Amino acid sequence: MISQTAVTALSEKLGRKNVLSEKEDLLTLGYDATPGLSALPDIAVYPTRLEELLFALQVARDEGLAVVPRGSGTGLSGGSVPHKGGMVLCLGRMNRILEIDEANLTATVEPGVITLDLFDAVMAKGLFYPPDPGSQKVSTLGGNVMENAGGLRGLKYGVTRDYVMALQCVLPDGSVIDTGGKNVKDVAGYAFKDLLVGSEGTLGVISQITVRLIPPPRSKKTLLAYFDTMPKAGEAVTRIIAARIIPSTLEIMDRTTMICVEEHAGIGLPLEMAALLLIEVDGHPAAVEEEATAVRTVLQQAGAAEIKLAADADEAASLAAARRTALSALARKSPTTILEDATVPRSKLADTFAEIERLAEKYRLVVGTFGHAGDGNLHPTVLCDERDRGEMERTHAFYEELYEKVLAWGGTVSGEHGIGLAKKAFLARQIGPAGIAVMRRIKNSFDPRGMLNPGKIIMEE
Amino acid sequence: MNNKKSNFPADDAPSYESVLQCMRCGFCLPTCPTFALTGRERSSPRGRVALARAVHEGRLDFTEALKDESFFCLDCRACATACPSGVKAGEVMEICRGQARSAFPGGHLSATLRRFVLERMLPDPARLEGSMLPARLYQRLGIQWLVRHSHLLKLGPDWLEKAEGMLPKLEMPLRPRLPELTPARGRKRGRVAFFLGCVMSLLYPEVSRQTVRVLAHQGFDVITPRATRCCGAPHLAEGDRQTARRLARHNLELFLAEEVDAIVTDCAGCGAILKEYDELLAETVPAGRRETFRARVRDISEFLAEAGLRTDGLGEVRASVTYHEPCHLCHAQGISKQPRELLRAIPGVELREMNESSWCCGSAATWGLKFTDASRQILKRKLDNVRATGADYLVTANPGCQLQLAWGVKQAGLPQQVRHLMELLGRATPE
Ligand SMILES: Cc1cc2nc3c(=O)[nH]c(=O)nc-3n(C[C@H](O)[C@H](O)[C@H](O)COP(=O)(O)OP(=O)(O)OC[C@H]3O[C@@H](n4cnc5c(N)ncnc54)[C@H](O)[C@@H]3O)c2cc1C
Ligand code: SF4
Ligand code: SF4
Repeated sequence: MISQTAVTALSEKLGRKNVLSEKEDLLTLGYDATPGLSALPDIAVYPTRLEELLFALQVARDEGLAVVPRGSGTGLSGGSVPHKGGMVLCLGRMNRILEIDEANLTATVEPGVITLDLFDAVMAKGLFYPPDPGSQKVSTLGGNVMENAGGLRGLKYGVTRDYVMALQCVLPDGSVIDTGGKNVKDVAGYAFKDLLVGSEGTLGVISQITVRLIPPPRSKKTLLAYFDTMPKAGEAVTRIIAARIIPSTLEIMDRTTMICVEEHAGIGLPLEMAALLLIEVDGHPAAVEEEATAVRTVLQQAGAAEIKLAADADEAASLAAARRTALSALARKSPTTILEDATVPRSKLADTFAEIERLAEKYRLVVGTFGHAGDGNLHPTVLCDERDRGEMERTHAFYEELYEKVLAWGGTVSGEHGIGLAKKAFLARQIGPAGIAVMRRIKNSFDPRGMLNPGKIIMEE
Repeated sequence: MNNKKSNFPADDAPSYESVLQCMRCGFCLPTCPTFALTGRERSSPRGRVALARAVHEGRLDFTEALKDESFFCLDCRACATACPSGVKAGEVMEICRGQARSAFPGGHLSATLRRFVLERMLPDPARLEGSMLPARLYQRLGIQWLVRHSHLLKLGPDWLEKAEGMLPKLEMPLRPRLPELTPARGRKRGRVAFFLGCVMSLLYPEVSRQTVRVLAHQGFDVITPRATRCCGAPHLAEGDRQTARRLARHNLELFLAEEVDAIVTDCAGCGAILKEYDELLAETVPAGRRETFRARVRDISEFLAEAGLRTDGLGEVRASVTYHEPCHLCHAQGISKQPRELLRAIPGVELREMNESSWCCGSAATWGLKFTDASRQILKRKLDNVRATGADYLVTANPGCQLQLAWGVKQAGLPQQVRHLMELLGRATPE
């Protein structure tokens, strides 16, 4: 519970429209995109400047409130769900692009900037910010950094971490650390920055971000390949990688996903096929030509039923856009969609698809699978109904068994969506008690009172 | 999960399925004009659906705040176009307006006025047209009632000023003047029924006169049943689902009795509602009849694009034109290409696309009068995009948009002339 005095103080300092305590507001700030999770915070605040952010943290400290940072709430592991109540700290109104430094090829932004807005702003200056999560139209850079978000271009260009050069971070005790900078090389001291990326709002609140920019690729080509089985498509991905070709994008969709995406986007996908690969190669025009031809050859050898070249940039863009809606489109088919984030070494892709199919049958579940196949990062998604107890239990068993295999193959329980609330037990299994113990000590050194995003990532003792 | 009882105050609540469908991805957020205004999650599609879900699950009572939220939603349907999961947040809010009537019946005066306008005036064309002769009376009875009802009177005469400024020069209503049969010209291609909307008949009679003329010139016999009643959109917007159903039923039976290839309208708002009679009448009219009706309804641009526009004999209209997409055409009916095709088909017309052509203009029936300030801000964004095109004409296809845009253009001193698509086509069509 928060005292009335504290609410008043916050309203005076931040302005009334930046402090919300009506139940209707709180109800809509207690969820992210993770199914089944939502909670009621005590208060929600929207700082617009660093000073206000510090004030809000001070109030939370005085009141003994948990603080849960929130970007746009598109997270898929419950990271911004205030399951213990407290203060939701909405960063969406700290959304200025502070600088685009064309001499150093960097951009400095506040954490609430929408990912696509940054992309567009640097593009207008002839620069390129590659990380592009499916949610890029909505997600914030703060959320991307805290989840170390990947995206459709992750295969060639890497994930958010690869572009973060500097972070300004507010610690729960009110101290502010600046870590990293515009130096391309920097080995001074512990790599705080790298520790903070992917920390899911459990160590500090990010108040400023400097990212690296690169020149945009000069040309690109988009290919579509259809397969009559999923494992065949998986095999094709493995072969492309083994052929030493690194496309910028190498995405997969199974038939269930294709049907749902087609229903929403109407782009004419051939629904009789079992799997689709969306492949993009980019770079120097001559290299693109050569790689596209090489990819085509490998696809043919891997038994693609059909290979198509996108007619123009518009068609390529609409295909990528459609792929981005895959998860949400799957939600058409059932009241509840539970997705996972299983990631395996790429040599194991075909096995993973076969395993998903086997388990779906075993547990009598409808599963749609799509994902960043080139990264080995898959999103098997169970289409179910949360009101059906039995189905939920089978879903649970499905994931248990799948992750057992994934871990046995040297995979990971999260490729990009983080651990949050949803995956704590799986993480404990992946990194073991010693790993958890170190994480706990790190958490304590940043946040001894355990006030920032409590109960996330690490299983409680 | 849903073991608690729903807290919706009345029957006819949004279905639990329709709100469970939302997976909270947020793709709808950047498309919602009210969220763009407030940045407040509860004024976003995702937030609104979450509130309806909370009421369903007994976690929230149907509060005054939820009532306000349901009326603050423009019902522009942009969120439905954007939503990959097929959620219709606007529709959920429209249904919640009906719930609001039960939860907050309102004061004596406003209840009487509401009943008078919604149940007596709008459903009866003759009465409505009679009241039109002194235009002020219409405003008193219609718009003023709405403002009183929504307790905005205290906020000063903003709305009145705007309403007055918006009113075009009035002519005689079209309904009594339009022949019941306008015969096809040239080679006959079919027979259609024209659904004349109340606002079209009262405020833009010339537009609909052109529509009928164009249809005839294009080779269609046009019948206009005199007994057509209001489509029911204002009633749905105000949460009066019962009267809306009554009107829907009347219109459906009336038009089904005619042997026609299509039921055509030039009012995007009417068209959207006519197509939704299917759902509105789900419990009262057999499925077969609903389907037949639904299959016949066409927006004029949709109809002409399907039939194929005869361009021989069309005159030239030398002008650059930019097109504003009415929400009820592009979002509610998914009609986006056809009006552009028609514009391009008019000899001499140069189409210049504006940015965000499908972003709401802020009119939204009486919304623009209830939330004058918010409406002005939404309109400004639209006009900035219009200005950037430098086009001679600003064309749209819905009377509500036309009123709002014409007013906005005048206020902002923009050079564009605001026209309905059919006025342009009408001009190219020889008398
Ligand atoms: C349809 C869809 C597609 C998606 N596709 C992808 C994809 O391709 N790749 C991918 O990686 N993810 C994807 N995601 C997941 C999600 O979009 C990302 O995790 C995104 O980075 C979350 O950003 P957000 O602004 O919504 O953050 P939120 O969900 O609000 O928060 C995420 C986490 O960051 C913390 N946080 C947010 N801002 C701050 C801050 N300033 N300081 C400290 N902590 C903070 C929160 O506490 C929380 O733990 C997808 C999600 C959806 C719904
Ligand atoms: S309404 Fe649709 S687009 Fe919006 S959050 Fe829900 S599922 Fe996503
Ligand atoms: S109908 Fe329009 S105003 Fe209402 S929630 Fe959807 S996008 Fe927002």
